[in-house]
Amino acid sequence: MVLPCSPEKTKEQMRRIKYIRIIVLAGAISLACTTKVSEWMLLNSEPAQYTLVYMHAGTVTPAVRQQNTALSASLQSTNIQFRSVQREEAENPYYALYYKNRLFSKYTDYRELDKLAISPLRERIARELMSGKLCVLLYLRSDIKEKDEAGLRIIKQTVASSPFSKIIPVIELSRGNRDEAHFVSLLLNVESDLRSIREPMLFGIFGRFTTLEPLLAKGISAENINLMIDFLTADCSCLIKDNLPGINILYKGSWENPAPALVNPILDASPALLHR
Amino acid sequence: MDQDTIVYDSLSERPLPRWLTDQRDGLNTYQPEMAEMKEDRSLGVSFAVTGLIIVLAVAFLTIYILRKKRSL
Repeated sequence: MVLPCSPEKTKEQMRRIKYIRIIVLAGAISLACTTKVSEWMLLNSEPAQYTLVYMHAGTVTPAVRQQNTALSASLQSTNIQFRSVQREEAENPYYALYYKNRLFSKYTDYRELDKLAISPLRERIARELMSGKLCVLLYLRSDIKEKDEAGLRIIKQTVASSPFSKIIPVIELSRGNRDEAHFVSLLLNVESDLRSIREPMLFGIFGRFTTLEPLLAKGISAENINLMIDFLTADCSCLIKDNLPGINILYKGSWENPAPALVNPILDASPALLHR
Repeated sequence: MDQDTIVYDSLSERPLPRWLTDQRDGLNTYQPEMAEMKEDRSLGVSFAVTGLIIVLAVAFLTIYILRKKRSL
């Protein structure tokens, strides 16, 4: 049996609902403004999509079709879409990897695409990010010893003196590493001229494999590294959300249920480190 | 990506990434809107509308009362 509610009671209930809505909305707004850039990106920012295109001039043979079906299946749960395109000029079929309409790489052989979206180092970096670390500083060596050692010294000293040192792992990678060839290629595509610059580079990786435009050569300085840390520990402003820097690295993995961001306890313990 | 490479003559002149210069210059944080003086006609419009309502009300009441008197 349903008892009729008096108009006064209904009014009171409506008023309560209104107050609750206001409180919830205010809470959501305050959370949005105080979440740090690195944490916000990991929780909310979907990785941008790559496109892998099979370019061909004529009919596709059953063997190639089968090969492409297998390729497409292997790229499930990766930030990539696969499609086949017929073009007259593609007499010799090839695969082209695009990121936001920019050609990153061409592959003439299907076997070159092996482990395109996965590699041991990418898995390690994703694990670090999912464990709540602020970011990963990836040092891409030029493979010129003197240059590499000088840059690495500055990075290690700067990170060690940072209050966030425990949550910023520094990982080194050689340009010539064959197991990570695809990863190196993606990193060198973050900006269009990087491939031609034979200098050590420092990439800040955070969120769901968002990779910032790197510091390189003399740009690898204590001041700039600290600015990178400041960028990642700042409150996430709408300006950053609307104009995200860097690119998303191609990666096959899940970003569900990351550990709580480790930057927050550090900032709670030392409010002097808070900044915008 | 949208802030991709700018043409430069030598490596020492290569510009720093935009995210870094913005962070250095404090441009990543929300910039409050600059207050600008705008022409405000609301007072004039308000006076005009109020005057019009008064004139209409007086005219309506005058006609109403005159008609009522005539019918008496």
